[in-house]
Amino acid sequence: MIRWTGILLAALVTACTVLIATSPVDARQGVIANILYVHVPCAFAAYAGFLTTAICSALYLVRRDERFDRIAMAAAEVGVLFCTLNILSGPIWAKGTWGQWWVWDPRLTVTLLLWFVYLAYLLLRSFTEGSERTARFAAVYGLLGAIVIPLNYFAIELFGGAAMHPDNLEGDSLGPAIALPFAASVVTGLTALWHLVLVRADLEHRQAPPDL
Amino acid sequence: MNVGLAIFWKDVLIEWRSRDRVVAMLLFSLLVVMIFQFSLPGGASADTQVYAPGLLWVAYVLAALFGLGRAFTLELENDALSGLALAPAERGWVFLGKALANLTILAPAQAATAFAFGLFFALDLTAVAAPLAGIVLLGSLGLCSVGTLFSAVAVRTRFREVMLPLLLLPLLVPIVSGSVRATTVLIATGSVPFEPIQLLVVTDVAYLIVCFLTFDYVLDE
Amino acid sequence: MNGARVTGCSLTKRFGHAVALDQLSLELAPGESLAVLGPNGAGKSTLLRLLAGLARPNAGTIEIDGAPAHRRSARRRIGYIGHATLLYPALTARENLVFAARLYGVPDPAERAAQLLEDAELGAAADEQVAGFSRGMAQRAAIARGLVHDPALVLLDEPFTGLDRSASERLLVRLATLRREGRSLVLVTHELAHAAQLADASLVLAKGRTVHTGRGEDAASLEDAYLAAVERAA
Repeated sequence: MIRWTGILLAALVTACTVLIATSPVDARQGVIANILYVHVPCAFAAYAGFLTTAICSALYLVRRDERFDRIAMAAAEVGVLFCTLNILSGPIWAKGTWGQWWVWDPRLTVTLLLWFVYLAYLLLRSFTEGSERTARFAAVYGLLGAIVIPLNYFAIELFGGAAMHPDNLEGDSLGPAIALPFAASVVTGLTALWHLVLVRADLEHRQAPPDL
Repeated sequence: MNVGLAIFWKDVLIEWRSRDRVVAMLLFSLLVVMIFQFSLPGGASADTQVYAPGLLWVAYVLAALFGLGRAFTLELENDALSGLALAPAERGWVFLGKALANLTILAPAQAATAFAFGLFFALDLTAVAAPLAGIVLLGSLGLCSVGTLFSAVAVRTRFREVMLPLLLLPLLVPIVSGSVRATTVLIATGSVPFEPIQLLVVTDVAYLIVCFLTFDYVLDE
Repeated sequence: MNGARVTGCSLTKRFGHAVALDQLSLELAPGESLAVLGPNGAGKSTLLRLLAGLARPNAGTIEIDGAPAHRRSARRRIGYIGHATLLYPALTARENLVFAARLYGVPDPAERAAQLLEDAELGAAADEQVAGFSRGMAQRAAIARGLVHDPALVLLDEPFTGLDRSASERLLVRLATLRREGRSLVLVTHELAHAAQLADASLVLAKGRTVHTGRGEDAASLEDAYLAAVERAA
């Protein structure tokens, strides 16, 4: 499984690089717009990772199967990695386009909060003793961390944060020339997430004591 | 249900005997108000009134973090926590009993802090005392629900004093933002706004249900 | 009083990489009493906490009268008297017992507490805070707390530790009474003489495994078996 996702990822990265290199440079924003080929896939991967953590946390609590815990942990780690890349790449582009490094826009704020939630999740794991207790405590937190997302959106809108991100990716909001490399980069980001999650969960499995 | 009441009564009785958490939180939140005096341009006065609701909730959250951290240390002595885990009841009631006790123990410090804010910021809060108490209650309910759950978690981790705020603060954003907005509008106009209250109620209900259901997993060894 | 049947089947409990219990099985008929012996770190207390439903095994099953130990129906039948007293120092003995009775849904908590205080010979100190109790008094109050719901199975973790001779004697009499009342008893102890006196059967653990089981042994033969088994395991 890991080998196949690895091969798929390598192929996608190659294809993506070619597609982005041959796509036209954005007329208005210039070459800086190419950051979005990293920024947006990272956001998708981070959100998908955190969603996986929340779902696997709930499944772990119901089934008490260590495999769900390993995937929840791996997805949180890789999700935090992508979320960090997303938060770092965003301001570079924002400075060039919006003229400011940071804007308290709802999606930005929620992403930052999620980054804090899942960093706290990882800290909780490393500060708890006993693998089974770690799994239980972390699962409870991973679950609550996901519940807070819609509440946070509501909370931030209440304060009237200026929405700077486009609402949705509609088909015609992207020109046909960049739609394909864009879609390819998102698929690559998600594949990278899954590949790394599988590798990380497998590593954890190898470190775990053997089942008796 | 009766288990929850028994635990609530037990916690309040122990607190009544020592009164150490109430006094510590009270002093702590008044000290926080003192710090605000030095951190605001021109100090706490009628000119800086607009900051009062936000700062009031900062003081409440800090005092609650301070007090919630102690909520389960009293259960660690003599392994009393195991005694609660042994009870043949739905463990959600254990959670509710602890959470309600925390809410009650928080109340005196909150009332005194609100009084101090009114005094220092030259705000007349007596006219809005009842709706303000309602908002504080709604906010504190959410605060105490996740606070109690993760106090039980943090107390059994290393660096428990650091762990509780790290776990709790990201989850408190909806509660703090709803409470601050509601308090701001209440003080400015004298009426309670609908939207922040809606947010608070939804958050409280969501947190209470999840905490009630997941406390079972936290209480296990 | 009918005791409870206890069935543990290949119980394994790990803490990280450390194995506390390794595929341990045990069986206790209603009304029987079992002494669990072994050197420090053998997994005795872990076993007792699994039986009490305070922790769950990583593998294997544990049943009290056919119900998993962590279920509510099982918890109602278990009285756990741990190494710690489970009492709140700031409350009086009476308040502690009333609280425990309410946790178990005992019909008349005040009445039950008064009766238990009398049984524990704590009548005079009933309204003093537990913080001021001697080890012997705290231990008697802890035992009263464990019996508050009249459990069919009583689990005791090193109850003799820290007691002087006369307190030990009183505890021995108390435990013999519990046994005569028909309760099942699981007793973790280092005191082989007490074990032989109180238990129908013995289970010796070393490094999380059973190294000896016996039945109806007197103190001398239990000691021989214990020493031999522990030496073999080491």
